Amino acid sequence: MTEAALYVTLFLALYFQTFALLTFLSKDARQRRTKVRLESDFPRVAVIVPCWNEETTIRGTVESLLALDYPREKLELILVNDGSTDNTARVLNEYRAHPMISVIHKQNGGKHSAVNLGAARTRAEFIGCLDADSFVHPGALKEVLAHFDDPRVASVTASMTVHEPRTILERMQYAEYLAGVALRHILATVNGLYVTPGPFSFYRASIIRKLGGFRHGHQTEDMEMAMRLQRHGYRIENAPRAQVFTKAPKTVWKLVKQRTRWTSGFIRNAYDYRDLMFNHNYGVLGLLVLPLGVLALISAMGLTVLAITDTSRMVATALRTQGDVPWSFAFSAPRMDWFYAPITEALVLSIVGIATVTAIMYIGKAISGAQKPIAQDILWYLACYSLVAPIWVFRSAAYVALGVRNAWR
Amino acid sequence: MPGANMTPFQNALAALGITVALFGTVVFAVDYLNEQRIAELSRIEDTITIDTLSLETQFDLLAEAPCREVSEGSVLSGELNDLAARLSYAEERLGADNEEVTKLKERYTLLEIKDYLLMKRLAKECTNLKPVFVLYFYSNKGDCPGCAEAGYALSYLREKYPELRVYAFDYNLDLGALKTLRSVLRITEPLPAFVINGKNYSGITSLGDLEPLLPTDLLATSTDARRR
Repeated sequence: MTEAALYVTLFLALYFQTFALLTFLSKDARQRRTKVRLESDFPRVAVIVPCWNEETTIRGTVESLLALDYPREKLELILVNDGSTDNTARVLNEYRAHPMISVIHKQNGGKHSAVNLGAARTRAEFIGCLDADSFVHPGALKEVLAHFDDPRVASVTASMTVHEPRTILERMQYAEYLAGVALRHILATVNGLYVTPGPFSFYRASIIRKLGGFRHGHQTEDMEMAMRLQRHGYRIENAPRAQVFTKAPKTVWKLVKQRTRWTSGFIRNAYDYRDLMFNHNYGVLGLLVLPLGVLALISAMGLTVLAITDTSRMVATALRTQGDVPWSFAFSAPRMDWFYAPITEALVLSIVGIATVTAIMYIGKAISGAQKPIAQDILWYLACYSLVAPIWVFRSAAYVALGVRNAWR
Repeated sequence: MPGANMTPFQNALAALGITVALFGTVVFAVDYLNEQRIAELSRIEDTITIDTLSLETQFDLLAEAPCREVSEGSVLSGELNDLAARLSYAEERLGADNEEVTKLKERYTLLEIKDYLLMKRLAKECTNLKPVFVLYFYSNKGDCPGCAEAGYALSYLREKYPELRVYAFDYNLDLGALKTLRSVLRITEPLPAFVINGKNYSGITSLGDLEPLLPTDLLATSTDARRR
């Protein structure tokens, strides 16, 4: 039974990876990758930066926005202080006199309320968000806007990677984000995106207003908005060359808290939008992406339980078997003979899966234009991710089951 | 190029086909490897059979034991030990109830019995041979909780004393010759049961209890296993 569950999981994982790679090779994906950035007929654009206690990072965020390669008269920046309790207000007020920047202070009401207030203050044709811990590449905005050429496109996401990854934890996340870059590009090709991430996702303002603006969305307003756009039949695109960099959590605990918010948000929003699931009207999103997303969480929990029980049983048996035989015997050189090669179906299929994930990360590197070598980052990802990810998956499942709401940080 | 001009639905179907083909190939390849393992075991058993027959024939031809040509540990025990390790690995991999593994195990058991009888005969005839025999009866049906520990301790002893002649028998194997051996040696449960140089012991599992039962003065130790 457990073996069957393992093979079903491996099959579905490999199926999804194969589908992703085939889609990457498709003509539609190629066209998106080669789309020329917008160089004329620039529309009015507003970038809203919701801030809550961001005194250390907000300057960098604003400066990167001011360095955007875009006509000054067409770009406005709206910095919304969502009731920060640190020095964020003082830092934001330094930008008050800037002709492109509006600063708004409000009582704390959550990120969605800050974005809605910012959106209400502009008449721009396109509004974008940028989390106050993220920074954009100067060419990113022109890349993003080029993908709004189809009127059905309600939102365009960027290629998000980790800002200056240094520690093992950051480098692990960097590799993960590169896979995210590739998968976002691939899934956008088949309109399969269910999240428009906080860092530099853009929206057609008229559609956002028509749909009633952002909602709390279980603290994942970007996921709720994306699913709502999908429910109403709009397209969510991706600009693979629009680079945006975000600060990754620096400690395991902060990472667990962030991912618990994301994962529990996914479960809750997937439940709210369950009418999309297994619904052929929503194509790849309804038939593949959302069901596999839910299944991946269930598998992660099942495989973790399986791994822990199997390992415990193996250790107990080994200790029992070891008895009073010297340990040096247990650690004597392994027999180098093909006969003893521990090759099983699960092992070979797992290796294929790991190779495909690695290929997807390299695709992410190539299409986002990242320069630095990523082999070590991938190794950290392969070595560490499966050790920490189950923590937030179980925590999220427990939070959803017990009705616990999580904190932002 | 696959996927180049296909719709998402066609891509999904193609991905399904590729994944099924990939699974099929992997299952086939691993199955082929297991078949090769069985073939390897069979090949080793063939070699041992020929060696056993050859030794028996030498006996018959010379009308006496070929003592000069036989030294302890030089003939079959090395191959039998190797076969035992491989068989145990194959059993772990393919399952104790795998038909082919059971067949190989029956053949291996017969070879062990033949080797045991032959060595006993040689020991009687040749003064230069003083082998130490350990006959070990185990069960892997879940009714012998101490068998894993005892088997592991014996593997260690076999490594430490290369001249030790360990014969491991699956107590539950449905083989006439083994049943006769059990009855001749008066082997009864509880398992694990041992016959060490003709004396019966039962229920011993630890190295500490097992090693003192060996006439270690007759056995040279390997430098490797002395490492502690």
